Amino acid sequence: MIQADLYIILPEIVLALYAMAALLGAVYTTKDGMGPVLVWTTAALMAVLAIWIATQDSGTRVAFGGMFVDDAFARFAKVAILLSAGAVLLMSQDYMARRGLLRFEYPLLVALAAVGMMMMVSAGDLMSLYMGLELQSLALYVVASLRRDSAKSTEAGLKYFVLGALSSGLLLYGASLVYGYTGTTLFSGILVSAHHGEVSLGLLFGLIFLISGLAFKVSAVPFHMWTPDVYEGSPTPITAFFATAPKVAAMGLFARLMFDAFGNAVSDWQQVLVVLSVLSMFLGAVAAIGQRNIKRLMAFSSIAHMGYALIGLAAGTQAGVQAMLIYLAIYVTMNVGTFAFILMMERDGQPVVDIDALRQYSRRDPGKALAVLILMFSLAGVPPMLGFFAKLGVWQAGIDAGLMGLVVASAIASVIGAFYYLRIVFYMYFGAENEEPIETRSSPVLWAALMGSAAMMLVGLFYQFGVEGAAAAAAATLVN
Amino acid sequence: MSLFLIAALPFLGAIFPALLIRAGRNASASAAGLTSFLAFTGLMIHAPTILSGGVVTARFDWLPGLGLNANFMLDGLGFLFATLILGIGMLIILYARFYLSRHDPMGQFYTYLLLFQGAMVGVVLSDNILLLLVFWELTSLSSFLLIGYWKHLPAGRQGARMALAVTGSGGLAMIAGMLILGHIVGSYDLSVILQNKEAIQASPWYLPALLLILLGCFTKSAQFPFHFWLPHAMAAPTPVSAYLHSATMVKAGLFLMARMWPVLAGTPEWFYIVATTGLVTMVVGAVIALFKDDLKALLAFSTVSQLGLITMLLGFGTKIAAVAAVFHIVNHATFKAALFMSAGIVDHETGTRDIKLLGGLRRMMPITFGIALIAGLSMAGIPPLNGFISKEMMLEETIHTVWLDSQLVVPALAIIGALFSAAYSFRYIAHTFLGPERESYPHAPHDPGPGLWLSPAILVFLVVIIGLNSATVAGPIVKAAAGAVVGGELPEFKLKLWHGFTPALYMSIVAVLGGLLLLALHGHLERVWNNLPRPEAKAIFDAVIEALTRLSRTITDGLHNGVISRYAAIMVAFTVGIGYYAYATGTTGLPTRVPLEAPIIPIIGWICLVVATLAIMWFHRNRLLSLVLIGVVGLIVSMAFNYLSAPDLALTQISVEVVTMILLLLSLNFMPTETPVDSTKARKLRDAAISIVAGLGAGGLIYALMLRDFAFPTISGYHLANSYKGGGGTNVVNVILVDFRGFDTFGEIIVLGIAALVIFALAESVLSSNVRAYLLNRKPHWPQSGDAHPLMMVVVTRVMMPIALMVGAYIFFRGHNQPGGGFIAGLVVAIAFLMQYMASGYTWTIERQRFYYHATIGWGVLIAAATGLGAWFNDMPFLTSDFGYLHWPPLEEFEWATAMLFDTGVFLAVLGAVLLALDSLSRFAWQPGIQQEYPMDINPQRDAPPVPGPGPDTVIPVGKET
Repeated sequence: MIQADLYIILPEIVLALYAMAALLGAVYTTKDGMGPVLVWTTAALMAVLAIWIATQDSGTRVAFGGMFVDDAFARFAKVAILLSAGAVLLMSQDYMARRGLLRFEYPLLVALAAVGMMMMVSAGDLMSLYMGLELQSLALYVVASLRRDSAKSTEAGLKYFVLGALSSGLLLYGASLVYGYTGTTLFSGILVSAHHGEVSLGLLFGLIFLISGLAFKVSAVPFHMWTPDVYEGSPTPITAFFATAPKVAAMGLFARLMFDAFGNAVSDWQQVLVVLSVLSMFLGAVAAIGQRNIKRLMAFSSIAHMGYALIGLAAGTQAGVQAMLIYLAIYVTMNVGTFAFILMMERDGQPVVDIDALRQYSRRDPGKALAVLILMFSLAGVPPMLGFFAKLGVWQAGIDAGLMGLVVASAIASVIGAFYYLRIVFYMYFGAENEEPIETRSSPVLWAALMGSAAMMLVGLFYQFGVEGAAAAAAATLVN
Repeated sequence: MSLFLIAALPFLGAIFPALLIRAGRNASASAAGLTSFLAFTGLMIHAPTILSGGVVTARFDWLPGLGLNANFMLDGLGFLFATLILGIGMLIILYARFYLSRHDPMGQFYTYLLLFQGAMVGVVLSDNILLLLVFWELTSLSSFLLIGYWKHLPAGRQGARMALAVTGSGGLAMIAGMLILGHIVGSYDLSVILQNKEAIQASPWYLPALLLILLGCFTKSAQFPFHFWLPHAMAAPTPVSAYLHSATMVKAGLFLMARMWPVLAGTPEWFYIVATTGLVTMVVGAVIALFKDDLKALLAFSTVSQLGLITMLLGFGTKIAAVAAVFHIVNHATFKAALFMSAGIVDHETGTRDIKLLGGLRRMMPITFGIALIAGLSMAGIPPLNGFISKEMMLEETIHTVWLDSQLVVPALAIIGALFSAAYSFRYIAHTFLGPERESYPHAPHDPGPGLWLSPAILVFLVVIIGLNSATVAGPIVKAAAGAVVGGELPEFKLKLWHGFTPALYMSIVAVLGGLLLLALHGHLERVWNNLPRPEAKAIFDAVIEALTRLSRTITDGLHNGVISRYAAIMVAFTVGIGYYAYATGTTGLPTRVPLEAPIIPIIGWICLVVATLAIMWFHRNRLLSLVLIGVVGLIVSMAFNYLSAPDLALTQISVEVVTMILLLLSLNFMPTETPVDSTKARKLRDAAISIVAGLGAGGLIYALMLRDFAFPTISGYHLANSYKGGGGTNVVNVILVDFRGFDTFGEIIVLGIAALVIFALAESVLSSNVRAYLLNRKPHWPQSGDAHPLMMVVVTRVMMPIALMVGAYIFFRGHNQPGGGFIAGLVVAIAFLMQYMASGYTWTIERQRFYYHATIGWGVLIAAATGLGAWFNDMPFLTSDFGYLHWPPLEEFEWATAMLFDTGVFLAVLGAVLLALDSLSRFAWQPGIQQEYPMDINPQRDAPPVPGPGPDTVIPVGKET
């Protein structure tokens, strides 16, 4: 009984135990001297777990009386989370080490955050939802302020924490209302009670507050306010981490809650999600135009991208969820590559984040410039890059679900948003001569991440690495 | 040859030029040329089928999930365009071989050119609108690379950026239009869409789709008001301009309009949008072209104008106009590419493109002159060249067109357009080649080798041939293409030079004569033109972009100003908003419960609570005062618990209140008396409004919810029924804590212990850093009182100590059945110790401390764990409790539950945690040499003014702490 339950959450247990054991191990040995080793072992463990989870074909299994669900949807999200977290960890090693930030806690906090994220996407109960969410958030609050001697970094961490606490409060309030009006915290139980047309006011309020809390985690407008500050203030590898795995986890959790618990009341949450999505896309597109700092720019970019992903969720259909998952997978891949490049940007050993520094970059390093060009076009959603197909998928799902207005608005937002991505490309190829060129020292890992993700944007057109099928299976298990 | 192969060939071939450049420039160019030639041959194999009205298709499901199929279709229209793209492509490859200098990276150039060629072929062969979109944007991308590879173009940067921004954005907008179209029809295959005219035009989404698609077409084909990017993109090398910006890429927009013509055209919306745009573009482009001095700029604006002409024809929506449009596409491609190449030759040989520095070249460059002359005259619409025939057809059409009930507008403007285009064509010829020879040119001009002039010569040959034998040479292909455009029976038409004395002929004559007149007057007109205030599209574009950027920055910086209270305000405001939405859309039943009666005393308490809360807001800058007020709030809450029959909660609450108050008081010691001013009036008002609304909303929500039944009966019944039976206690709260939810409590005491340890660790790390020196030298903000440990208080607390401990023990033991328990007892005992710290001082107390607080916490947790484990020995799950009764003779019968042992653990952990936290905090305050370190000591300087001691800046050596 308990053994069966434990076996289902074995990957989480392994990762959690590893993190705790490694923490103790490092404390009693050379502490920060263990940093590089731990980065590699953590990333390796994550990769192994990802492969393990990906190759499991065990249908849908439920542990702990329904609190934890292991199904195709969870597995899809977990693989994406683990792979991106591992990749970002490896990418960060060089950067962190050279700036004296490679504390041994860092990879372990990332590992614990990953455990939380895995819990989130597997949550089958409001309690496990909250547990996973907080485990992830607490680890993220800490890594956001990892650079303790920088006012910006600590400020970022504090802001994230205070606002995160506020959103957690909203979420808990919502959870308690939901419990009060359904008599259960199990998603499967809520699903039975929450039928459209019979949703009582209290339950509706619960739903609304839950959405507010989760919107904060996916940084959907207007719960996004922390994002630019945190992205800017955190050390760049942390920013890269923020932009990838947690987004997948939060969207995964969002989808799980909406469908597993409120799947019979789609029209009760659809409108709210549409509003969040439109606001996110437009604010993300408009606000990024004025940014000179590439990290802030990527923050607004991620806000806009979450808006597009929300279209898939708002559609409320299987096709929508599938499109959303594919969108997330592609989004994460693009961001890994883009941040690999941002991590390389430096001058005299100091990181550079000003986009003006990219002027005429294509002359110094045509290969990398071309890779960034491909990534930027992909982020902008320009065909034939993979980013276009991500958008196409959610748009089609939206149109089929009757959200034509949302899709048209989203297309307009993507036109506005294209401007700032293309501006980066323009700077690299045609910018005015730059007095202070940047260097882009690349470790092999960064180089591989950049080139690999750029290549993926083209290769993905012909071979999708089974992502499409997995996403379809995932969506099918979630929606039905 | 399969259509797949034709479409793929340029892409496959694209690697060879880059690879073969090592083998020399000829090898590279030959590879590119051969690729194009193969594709062209493949195309020509299908010519018989197409010209007889057939359609060739090739289908392959690429991403069926998205509706994206790699379906290709070759019909008349596609065939015409593919022929132009591949045919002119070969000529350009030849031309570029001799045009580019030794220093230009020719391999790259050909690679990009072939990529572009492939993309264009893909656009015109696609039978799937999504596939078409992919190729469409690929043209933007590869054109960007083609321009970008050209390293020496300081002036061209803006152009490249604008071209990319304008066409790229238009393409993105078009995606949405295509999606709508696909949704209306239910398929993304063009062949299906083209069959569904009625469904599309009847749909309410017809207009949005039309607008979005046209946005893509107009931006790509440089139609007004997006015409400005094309001339600026001309900074690219001439082969690129000739190929992209006159013959192929800019025609993609026209192609798409022609492609969609069967389903989109024929409505008033189509007519007014497309025809009007075309007309305006034609006139505006022609007028500007006349006054451009740069040869390529002149040609660029003339291209804009000619594209406008074709757009207008497509916009008319009549079949015969479509025929004219198709025919003019052919003609324009031939003469304009030739003209561009001739301009390139002039630039190449004389070193300048400025028409003001040229003139009189006819003798020095006779071949070039001949080419430019024929092509230019064709553009001007002079018989017997091909430009004349299509222009004639256009004028003929305008006569039959009514625009807003006016017969005259369209023909009149068309004549003006034709007149100006005749004028700029004449000017191109006259001012470059005719006139007196100049004394010096930047380079000595002479005709180039055949490599350069062969390509335009071939095109000019076509110009003449088509003009003379239009029906036989161009007739079949025009018929096939036009048939594909109108998607049905073509009306009778004849391509011929002489139509008789028609109105169109008179209009042509007027245009040509007017053009000559304008040329004669050019010098005067130019002065007028230069003095005319005219909007410069590029400046406007830049200004708009600049303004938008600034606007965006204002919005962003205004919104994201880094102030966290604003962030929170926005979040809360939005939550209130969607809360209201939920309220407005949700269904509220009638209240099912009656509110409790409210006697006067609780109402007074409630008023106190509200007043105290408001007062905190008001006085929050005074720290001590707000602490006192917080205490008041806590007290009333405790009383409220008591009033609502929860004495246990009240007891807990009040002891927690006391402990936290003391800890806070302690930390006040290190803080200024007042908090800094951090809010403006306006912000306070905003925050007040938001919080009042949110508070009222939350309060109203709770009130409404409490008046209604929950989905199920409350859980209290269960606990009341089972508390004694299962846990052996009548105090339900305590039984829940130590029994029913024992596991939670176990976790909580661990957390509490960890929190205390963290406070200790933080204090330790701060005190071992250089902050310590600062703390040691800290001067209080005001003089300390002379008797910090007053006699009375010391005596009272010492007497109180045993009593307090006794109370603690009492509360502990009664806990299981009456209000009390380990948690409260721990707090009470902690308060007893805290009093000693406060009254007698840190040093005095620490000297009498007999046990370590760390250990206390540890013992607490261990005892609790051991209790839990004990259950295992009885084959019960962790923390199962048991109870029995004990009777010691002098005492009464006494209940003995394992839960009580567990409660001991709770007691110890709470006690240790509170004291450890307090101890850690108070160590900050410790300073050596404090006079009144011991209880009841009097500082002899109490009445003297404070001595200026060492300030916080001077650091005294840090000694080891006692």
